[in-house]
Amino acid sequence: MINGTVVDLSRIQFAATALYHFLFVPLTLGLSFLLAAMETVYVTTGKPIYRQMAQFWGKLFMINFALGVATGLTMEFQFGTNWSFYSSFVGDIFGAPLAIEGLMAFFMESTFVGLMVFGWERLSRGQHLAVTWLVALGSNLSALWILVANGFMQDPVGAAFNPVTMRMQLTSFQKLIFSPDVQSKFVHTSIAGYVTAAMFVAGVSAYYMLRNRHLDLAKRSFRMAALYGVLATIGVITLGDALGFVAARVQPTKLAAMEGLWRKEVAPMPFNVIAFPEQAEQRNIGKVQVPAVLSLLVTHSLTGTVPGIAALERQAVGRIQNGIPAVQALEALAKNPNDAAALAQFNAHKADLGYGFLVQRFAPDLNNVTPAEVQEAARDTIPPVAAVFWSFRLMVGLGLAMLAYFVLAALYTLRNRIQKKTWILKVAVWMIPVPFLANEMGWLVAELGRQPWTVFGVLPTWMSASTHSVGYMAFSLIGFVTLYSIFIAVEMYLMVRAIRLGPEEHGGSGDAPPQTRPTLAGRTVPAAAYGNKLEG
Amino acid sequence: MRSVLYFLLFLVIAVIVTLLAAILGDEGSWYFAWLIGTTMLVLISAAGAALLDAQEEHAAAQAAAAERKPL
Repeated sequence: MINGTVVDLSRIQFAATALYHFLFVPLTLGLSFLLAAMETVYVTTGKPIYRQMAQFWGKLFMINFALGVATGLTMEFQFGTNWSFYSSFVGDIFGAPLAIEGLMAFFMESTFVGLMVFGWERLSRGQHLAVTWLVALGSNLSALWILVANGFMQDPVGAAFNPVTMRMQLTSFQKLIFSPDVQSKFVHTSIAGYVTAAMFVAGVSAYYMLRNRHLDLAKRSFRMAALYGVLATIGVITLGDALGFVAARVQPTKLAAMEGLWRKEVAPMPFNVIAFPEQAEQRNIGKVQVPAVLSLLVTHSLTGTVPGIAALERQAVGRIQNGIPAVQALEALAKNPNDAAALAQFNAHKADLGYGFLVQRFAPDLNNVTPAEVQEAARDTIPPVAAVFWSFRLMVGLGLAMLAYFVLAALYTLRNRIQKKTWILKVAVWMIPVPFLANEMGWLVAELGRQPWTVFGVLPTWMSASTHSVGYMAFSLIGFVTLYSIFIAVEMYLMVRAIRLGPEEHGGSGDAPPQTRPTLAGRTVPAAAYGNKLEG
Repeated sequence: MRSVLYFLLFLVIAVIVTLLAAILGDEGSWYFAWLIGTTMLVLISAAGAALLDAQEEHAAAQAAAAERKPL
């Protein structure tokens, strides 16, 4: 059995690297489409200010993109290094989307990012606009494939366990990519990126307006960000609701933890706005409830109910008892793959194979499992309720705060009175970190809520990790945290520096296209020498 | 000839988009919503910028007219 400390350290390492990486990704997803919007206005109106905007925000996009790629690279390798049993068990399904993601990110996206940055003087307006749109599409499609992989971990459809090869195999690629969980998760995550970019652009533009700098750029950027933000926030809330609706069906334990729902309530179920879940006692200490809202949210009806944690634990007891013969049959098939009786036993119990694996953590010898061990394993099927409950509430609260802000900002910017409302501008600057925090909370809800599984209901976390030593895991964890903290510091430094310098330093005055172009040797050459295609 | 080629290109794009919409409408309604929604988001924020230009030009024209008005 794998050392529990190694499993915990592997989880902490993956969580740390993913949380760091997820600070960069949403901004890339959202800013790419905002850049496309700015450049679309430039191409359609021909006004140089929009070119300046696209170049300035493009510079900030590049800083973020480069560090996002740097932090993302290691994560893909971690599946092999720290989660080798997981990789072996579901590699046939997980590998394909991960490979496509790599192709999207490192071939399509990176190629077009290069053209976007260095192509201003080399491509016609139309060509450059097409490139910018392809960057946006590439970055979001690369996110799609990683979320297809993650969606499989949440709701493993389109695959089946093969008792001969002893691993999961893909049965339907269509089911995998069109799974309701994958679809709603992708759109929710992508649009959360739009909200992040909108708040970032609005905040930086507000900073300029408060200091009376770069007003033409700041006013237009703020207007575009506010409209982009208000619509995106509505979208992200809608998709959050869709994800909750899906979770009620495919991950009831996660939903029960998100809602702090210990026992089944009578329809229409109340929603716990505030509660302090006490997992050991299976109750909430103090709560503020809104009547009927939970039924509406998770079943979209006033008569719908979802099971509480106590009922889910009772269900788990039955599934564990049914899963034990499946694992015993696997052990027999491992010794003799032609054992027909073992194969028949496996097929009769395979639906609960994962639950059979789960109990092995508490009862390594499946021939002598006690009721207490089954009960302990059943209790283990419930994720950490307080962490999931509060991460969810924080994410929702921050989302609603951003919606309120964007509605106000859109209202005043559409009336062209935003510069007079300095308090709205000041709030925008302070709100820049808010979507980043909301994104991290969303990730925690998704991943902590899936515990104790790496693949929900199929493969427990405790048996997914590699058999490293504690020292190795501790050393590499410290290394990653140190390295990634440096990355964050570098990103912050470069971003703040670029923002302080302002757009003049990046793309001319904004009144006309730059008349010179940089070369790799650091010299400048008149654009005319290359045949300026900018106005083409 | 160029117009014919453009016509054919846009016709092919229209057929692909229609097929995509038909497939996604059945199999992946949220993907379809994402495609439409993202396009709308970009276009509405772009329209907002164009509206700001129009508002500023209108304000500048009004200010110029007020300056020309004899006291």
